Amino acid sequence: METLVIIGIVNGLIVGGVYALIGMSLTLLYGVLRVVNFAHGEFVIGGSFLAYVLFNTFGIPPLAALPIAAISFFGLGYVAYFLLIPRLARSDDPESMSFLMMYGLSIALAAFMLVLFEADSRSIDYSFTPISMKVGPVYVATARVVALGVTLVVAAGVSAFLFLTLPGKALRAAIMNREAIQIMGVDIVKLSAFAFALATGIAGITGVLVALVFPAFNAFSGPEYAIIGFIVVVLGGLGNPLGALAAGVFYGLAEQLATVFLPQAMAQIVGFALLVGTILVRNAGFGRWRVSR
Amino acid sequence: MNRPNPSSRSADRERADRIYYTLAALLGGAVILYFAVVPFVGANLAFHFYLMLWITMASGFNVSSGFSGYMPFGYVAFYGVGAFTTAILVKKLGFPVLLALPFSGLAGLVLALLFAPTLRLSGIYFAIVSLALAYICRLVITNMPEEMTGGSFGIQLGSQAEPVLSFYVMMATMMLALGTILWLSRSRLGKALRAVRDDAEAADMMGVNITRVRLYGWLIAAFFPAVCGGVEAWYTNIVDTETAFNTLITAKTVIYAIAGGLGTVSGPIVGALVMVWLDELIWRQFPLLNLLILGLATVLLVLFLPRGIVGTLLRWRPAWRRYVP
Repeated sequence: METLVIIGIVNGLIVGGVYALIGMSLTLLYGVLRVVNFAHGEFVIGGSFLAYVLFNTFGIPPLAALPIAAISFFGLGYVAYFLLIPRLARSDDPESMSFLMMYGLSIALAAFMLVLFEADSRSIDYSFTPISMKVGPVYVATARVVALGVTLVVAAGVSAFLFLTLPGKALRAAIMNREAIQIMGVDIVKLSAFAFALATGIAGITGVLVALVFPAFNAFSGPEYAIIGFIVVVLGGLGNPLGALAAGVFYGLAEQLATVFLPQAMAQIVGFALLVGTILVRNAGFGRWRVSR
Repeated sequence: MNRPNPSSRSADRERADRIYYTLAALLGGAVILYFAVVPFVGANLAFHFYLMLWITMASGFNVSSGFSGYMPFGYVAFYGVGAFTTAILVKKLGFPVLLALPFSGLAGLVLALLFAPTLRLSGIYFAIVSLALAYICRLVITNMPEEMTGGSFGIQLGSQAEPVLSFYVMMATMMLALGTILWLSRSRLGKALRAVRDDAEAADMMGVNITRVRLYGWLIAAFFPAVCGGVEAWYTNIVDTETAFNTLITAKTVIYAIAGGLGTVSGPIVGALVMVWLDELIWRQFPLLNLLILGLATVLLVLFLPRGIVGTLLRWRPAWRRYVP
């Protein structure tokens, strides 16, 4: 039992790291752009498929695929921003409409990946040497340890960027007050495009990690990750990148430990219940136009 | 005093109402006539069955999103629970189908009551919670004992299939939904719902019981998808969690409703008609690309026609708002 719990904790940290990155990029998007990106899961899975293609076609190992995924997804995100987001502001309720649009994009991207890669689950047939490592009393696949290391580096890098550099500070300022930062002379369009590109770039990296950490992925895995992303974002507080990191790790631990003690399906229900409960409790305090009775 | 003569104003309103109800009657009559003859002229029964199903679903969604301002992205929960209610009652408890269907509607209402606390939320919080609740419903039903919900194989209703009868039951459900929304759009409750949607505090000040009004709107919105689920289970003769809780059902409902335009009676009808036809055409031409095009259509719709067909028309000619149902 004790070993099982330790395995649960180790897995929780590894999986939680992936969730933390998904949550952090989602919360950046929501914070800066007020866009609820349901298609984020597809961005992530797109990264996994990119790593898959790079390895199977060109023999590029996943670690080398990381920068390629980051840069290409950053570029795609930059273009996607100008195609999708500016027009959204014209609708009556941009926030709900953004959710609907991203819902549509999610369906389209999943279908696109289905056409390219068919419905089978894929995995990258790449193994590190040695294939597993001893962590304390338990063995963990090296791929997962590497993934955890990459997660830490990326999380630390993005955090340092957000808190130590001027553009990073501008991003955080935009999360706090979109209007005020424009008065201070920041080009909000450029900044928003950058935020979107940054979030998709992180999603691309996360996708490569997903391919390393999880046994398999397919064209329809996206929504699962998007929903976990929402849970993490809400737990960490909307628009709070560090909160999302902590919440991601917390959620990963909770999920993995729940699978130790509860049947698989119950563990999933726990996750969703956590989301609903958090929103209901949190929002009781500071709803926007809600009238309490 | 330069006030308009009250009698001329009320005459004016009566005239507008007359046009409104004449249009509604014409629209309703055309819809009834069109669908009623389908089984006789040997038209494609399945296509028209699903057309009516989507009109009903989109109209129900319209009550929630168009009238009350809530976007339930887990709308499929009501549909799935309705489908399983009918299937379980018919297969396991030996109910006749027509008796089981009202219980599907009832199950939808009960589920709506369970979800009622989420009405405290607004905007995107409500949407996300609704989505999560739909997943929970699906997981709960998937993990129920196999004797009850049939596990991953689902439930076969056996020799209950009566395509033509279920077609007309679907039609009756659709007419009930359209009638309800026609009534709602002119009723006190409908006005209260819109008032609460636009400004809850102001409505509260005017003496509207916000909680009750929202709940009524929510119950109406939940009833129809649950019945739809039941009728569809009867029509296809099989229910399983994969199809009954498929998120595509929510997606299509939302897309069709928004394509027509939220907040009007005719919007979801027009939207469903146009989009289901389009879907069918695309599906016939490119079966593989169906989903891809559906997704892209949603994106384009949000970007270029966020108010839908009827909504855009009414924005272009605001005066028509009084006449168009």
